[in-house]
Amino acid sequence: MNENELKVATKLIFEGLSMAKASMEMILQSPISIEQIEYGTSDMDINRFGGDESEVHVIKTELMGELKGTSHLIFSEKEVQKLYESSLPKNIVEDDSKESTIMKLGFLTEIDNMVSAAVITEFSNFLGVEIYGNVPSLKVIKAKELNNYLVEESSELEQIIHFKAMFNGKELDICPDFIWVFHNKFVDKIKDLVSQK
Amino acid sequence: MSKTVLVVDDSIYMRSLIKTVMEGAGYEVVGEAQNGESAIDLACSLQPDLITLDNILPDMMGFEILKVIKEEGVESKVIMVSAVGQQTVVNKGLSLGAAEYIVKPFTEEDLLKVVEKVMA
Repeated sequence: MNENELKVATKLIFEGLSMAKASMEMILQSPISIEQIEYGTSDMDINRFGGDESEVHVIKTELMGELKGTSHLIFSEKEVQKLYESSLPKNIVEDDSKESTIMKLGFLTEIDNMVSAAVITEFSNFLGVEIYGNVPSLKVIKAKELNNYLVEESSELEQIIHFKAMFNGKELDICPDFIWVFHNKFVDKIKDLVSQK
Repeated sequence: MSKTVLVVDDSIYMRSLIKTVMEGAGYEVVGEAQNGESAIDLACSLQPDLITLDNILPDMMGFEILKVIKEEGVESKVIMVSAVGQQTVVNKGLSLGAAEYIVKPFTEEDLLKVVEKVMA
């Protein structure tokens, strides 16, 4: 991408993530900020998850439609507990029955559904493409497996664009990672758009 | 008599949330569906006054469900409730016969305002 195309792409990504931030604030009823945005494929720092063997909740949304891509929203075990305690009724949080567990996990996937959709809506409107997020899926893996898992997920798309945001919810003491990978067609769409202007 | 509602969403959390809001406002939730097939069956058999319809379900899109139930003669008012918020998508839902389209996330007040408008 040339400088102008890069500028447009960066602005779009920032705006998409800002919409995601706003959605997360509304769902959690608590202020969230975007701590940092990184571009590229650097490994995740897994120290924040509390050790190699700690559990990490990874919620994936796959794009459907004119662009291929996936997003992953990642919470540590402690963050998941904090989210439950802040947003779900106490009787569900403290109950380990199958029904309550399904409700808790459903809450996590619904957060991802809305946060991913905010980015997708922004990209769809801006690029003029028809894209949707599929039904999200959740995986619980060990922190030490996370980077390999993400590399494997990316390998399904041949040419890819990566960007990653770290959100920060100071009141809730959470800082989930939000990772996106797109097929290179994303770049083609940006180039088309810039050349038309 | 309470107005009846069918809640269609793949997320148990979202179904539970909508059900709580609707029952709190005096509506009777007569059915819940987590996929398209079940949504069509329940819409046809229950003929509720209102259907809240998610747009992305594991087996089909809400648009397809909307088309089928309209073809089957179901006269329920339909409010699409979805995280998919592109204007083109919202317009498509409305053109297919949805009475309103509400984008997630929403507040309880947002949802009830739309429901009251549709059911007035």
